Amino acid sequence: MTDETIITNSQAAEPANPVAAPVVLKGQERFVAPLDETPLQDVDSVDEAAPATSMWADAWRTLRRNPLFIVSAVLIVLIVFVALFPKVFTRQDPNFCDLNKSLSDAASGHPFGYDLQGCDVFARTVYGTRTSVSVGILTTLLVLVVGTLIGAFAGFFAGWIDAVLSRVTDIFMAIPLLLGAIVVLQMFRTSSSIWKIVLVLTLFGWTSTERIARGSVMESKNLEFNTASTALGSTPLRNLFRHIMPNSMASIIVVSTTSLGTYIVSEATLSFLGIGLPSTTVSWGGDIANAQTILRTNPMVLFYPSVALAITVLAFIMLGDAVKDALNPKSRTA
Amino acid sequence: MTTSSNAEAMAAMQRQQGPILEVKDLQVDFTTDSNRAVHAVRDSSFSVYPGQWVAIVGESGSGKSTSAMAVLGLLAGTGHVVGGSIKLEGEEISGFSRKQYEQLLGKKMGLVPQDPMSNLNPVWRIGTQVREALQANHMDISHEKRSALAKALAGTDVTVKTNDDETFLGSAQLQGLLDDARQALETAGVPAQRREELMTGFTQAWVPGSETRWRVADDLIKAGVDDDRAWAIAKSRVVGSTLNDRIAGLLSEAGLPEAATRARQFPHEFSGGMLQRALISIGLACRPDLLIADEPTSALDVTVQKRILDHLHTLTDSLGTAVLFITHDLGLAAERAQHIVVMYKGRVVESGPSLEVLQHPQHPYTKRLVAAAPSLASQRIISAKAHGEHGAELASLMEHQVKGEEVLDKGEHIITVEHLTREFKLPRRREMFKAVDDVSFSLKRGTTLAIVGESGSGKSTVANMVLRLLTPTSGTVTYEGEDIAGFSGKRMLDFRRHVQPVFQNPYGSLDPMYTIYRSIEEPLRIHHVGDAKSRERRVAELLDMVKMPRSVMQRYPNELSGGQRQRIAIARAMALNPDVIVCDEAVSALDVLVQDQVLRLLNDLQAERGLSYLFITHDLAVVRQIADEVVVMQHGRLVEHATTDEVFDHPKMEYTRDLLEAIPGGHLSLGLD
Repeated sequence: MTDETIITNSQAAEPANPVAAPVVLKGQERFVAPLDETPLQDVDSVDEAAPATSMWADAWRTLRRNPLFIVSAVLIVLIVFVALFPKVFTRQDPNFCDLNKSLSDAASGHPFGYDLQGCDVFARTVYGTRTSVSVGILTTLLVLVVGTLIGAFAGFFAGWIDAVLSRVTDIFMAIPLLLGAIVVLQMFRTSSSIWKIVLVLTLFGWTSTERIARGSVMESKNLEFNTASTALGSTPLRNLFRHIMPNSMASIIVVSTTSLGTYIVSEATLSFLGIGLPSTTVSWGGDIANAQTILRTNPMVLFYPSVALAITVLAFIMLGDAVKDALNPKSRTA
Repeated sequence: MTTSSNAEAMAAMQRQQGPILEVKDLQVDFTTDSNRAVHAVRDSSFSVYPGQWVAIVGESGSGKSTSAMAVLGLLAGTGHVVGGSIKLEGEEISGFSRKQYEQLLGKKMGLVPQDPMSNLNPVWRIGTQVREALQANHMDISHEKRSALAKALAGTDVTVKTNDDETFLGSAQLQGLLDDARQALETAGVPAQRREELMTGFTQAWVPGSETRWRVADDLIKAGVDDDRAWAIAKSRVVGSTLNDRIAGLLSEAGLPEAATRARQFPHEFSGGMLQRALISIGLACRPDLLIADEPTSALDVTVQKRILDHLHTLTDSLGTAVLFITHDLGLAAERAQHIVVMYKGRVVESGPSLEVLQHPQHPYTKRLVAAAPSLASQRIISAKAHGEHGAELASLMEHQVKGEEVLDKGEHIITVEHLTREFKLPRRREMFKAVDDVSFSLKRGTTLAIVGESGSGKSTVANMVLRLLTPTSGTVTYEGEDIAGFSGKRMLDFRRHVQPVFQNPYGSLDPMYTIYRSIEEPLRIHHVGDAKSRERRVAELLDMVKMPRSVMQRYPNELSGGQRQRIAIARAMALNPDVIVCDEAVSALDVLVQDQVLRLLNDLQAERGLSYLFITHDLAVVRQIADEVVVMQHGRLVEHATTDEVFDHPKMEYTRDLLEAIPGGHLSLGLD
């Protein structure tokens, strides 16, 4: 008895003898799958057949399938076409008004009838497109440039540059758009150029883009590929323009497309208030303002430019939403 | 009792109870956007017995996590079980509804997820998140109720339950219990010295909210107190704990020191290892019979990994919890689990007792895994290509070099670091934090020097100073005998050409907006090397060099796997024919097979081109495969510096031995057929 115990002990004391037949339980027997079931492939091989994708290509694929995008894109193409070639739709001069025809009903070639001054409502609606769309697009582009640059510098250099730029942004953000626009536009009452509207809207509209740009630049400047580029010999400014800004563009573009609609509304509002474009420039806002006095008797004169404005704004906002969905990093696969 | 008879008794019990989890011919599909079904798991079968550790091993995308998630009913997105059966304690659960699963999760099955950072809510205190786990299973209510009942009964002589392991020690009663225990030991006539030892042991073992009545009684009886007295003390003093005690108790079971204080802290105040411990305590809070641990330690340092897994092992053993352990590291699996299931491309390719699988791998994939596991390899990789074989090829690469480059004095040491120190200012602290403290070493031309240490040891800070991405507080870095602090303008650009980094995170180091071609071409562009045509040729050569097909040129980083991106990063680093490459944890985020592949690539490049590597890693197993010399760092200081063989065979410092100990499966012998 004692001998046996000694033997067992000495066996146990021996350096681990791992192949001491392990106890095998049911369902845990040794199993080796046949090789042909899962043929061995190269370690970490590249799937060359997979379709190439990039962020923009992915976004485009998502967009193409989004009904919101299809509807808004069709509308926008149509609106831009109208803005570029109004003559295709009407041969009537929008500024040719005949008081004899004041408030006349629709006639052949004049489907929307005439307003109080006897101008063709259809022609004015068609020509008004150009004003609205140009103000919207030009303001958006200008805001994009100004906001992105200021935001990128603030986010990239941080420190006191950021402090100064951010306070300036705060100041501009604190001024209500309409109030600021009224004050500034008073000074340029005589000018009939749409540029004055564009510049005023940019002056008070760049702040939101700046905030977004600053945030996303700060975020992407800490990513490792910037360090990698620096170690390759790249300068900080080159990093900013070649790596950081392209990586921040997605969120900036989303904000811009969505705010395009609001710029169009702002232009209409300013023109409606009479401080925007002079009456010689055809614009939906001005027409809506003129039509409000006869709203009770002839609501249709107000109806057409309003609907045109609503559809345009809606189309751009829908496009912004669709772009936002497509570029949303969370909905993208890594 | 000997180990073998112990194991037999255990097996007999497991056989009698039957498997706790039995998965048969499991099939899981994911539906893609275009309504195509992707078969993530095919005909997979495995089973887990009570109290057993079973490991599922496989590379990423092998279906190992998907299988586990299918068992838990937590398949992400469009995934669903399309065939086979999942039986938990004999009951078919694969068809269960969400509601039914909620009954199982926590109580029957617990989960320790992979990424501790994203699995705890940053706005809630740790304790609150443990409480939530208890609340979800109504353990908080029953806990308080039981505690109140136990308190009420403590005065009378009624026994609550003979083996009531739900009555925990409360922090309010701890002092009284210790006093009683000391008195009882005195009465029992235990000698003074032994008494002190026992009391110290009790103070450590009796954790409020974790220690139960019967365990206290048991401890006292073992210490020599007679049964009646021991039980009387246990009954009068261990009368249930508050919920906060219980939460602290659970955290301290998982190995968190000062758990009561820690429970009031937020996740950002925890280190990765501590977060993982908190997640373990959440996973085990409701005492599940089966714990599913999905790569619980893959994001952690090896030493922390070892401590956590050791602790988890002891804990699950004492609770009798079975563990389904998912990992990509075969060495780790073999060390921890009794049974191994190897998965590849959604199928189980091999399974069996862990040592048998490890030592006699049958399936070619398993063989490949065994060959690649760094923990098991004990040799430096010898490159198949010897020096000097590549004259012609090398010459073609050299023609891209800018002519007229100044000829440097070629000393033996290409990079020398002397008394390097770097201090950082900590927020809200007056004193400076020394991240690197007086570190000196030098890198010999054409060799690899590894800097090893845990996270926070300052090794990456050293790397950044060598790359001149950070300026040292004091001390110097010399490259080819010149202090790099003095470089500027053209000389600086020249330094950048010759010393290149490869970073840890393969997802972060390539610009997602750049095609692979542009990424690799970038250094050539920055340094104005060649024209568009020759640059394109060069990029193609570099892709060949890292064994990537040329067709990836027009692809974007998000289309490539982690290992492939890392190879692209190496190609980019190689573009300017550097002398030194600083690899900052370059393979740490990769699966073993891919890691092995990248290491071999680095090694081949070194043999071909005489490159010198500064290799930063936390994993000594990797060091053995690639390094000639090792520098061990701890808390910013250099603790050991020797050749690799010396460090592995005769480690001088305690800390180095700890690191060696921590290599998973390091002591397992293998038989490669």
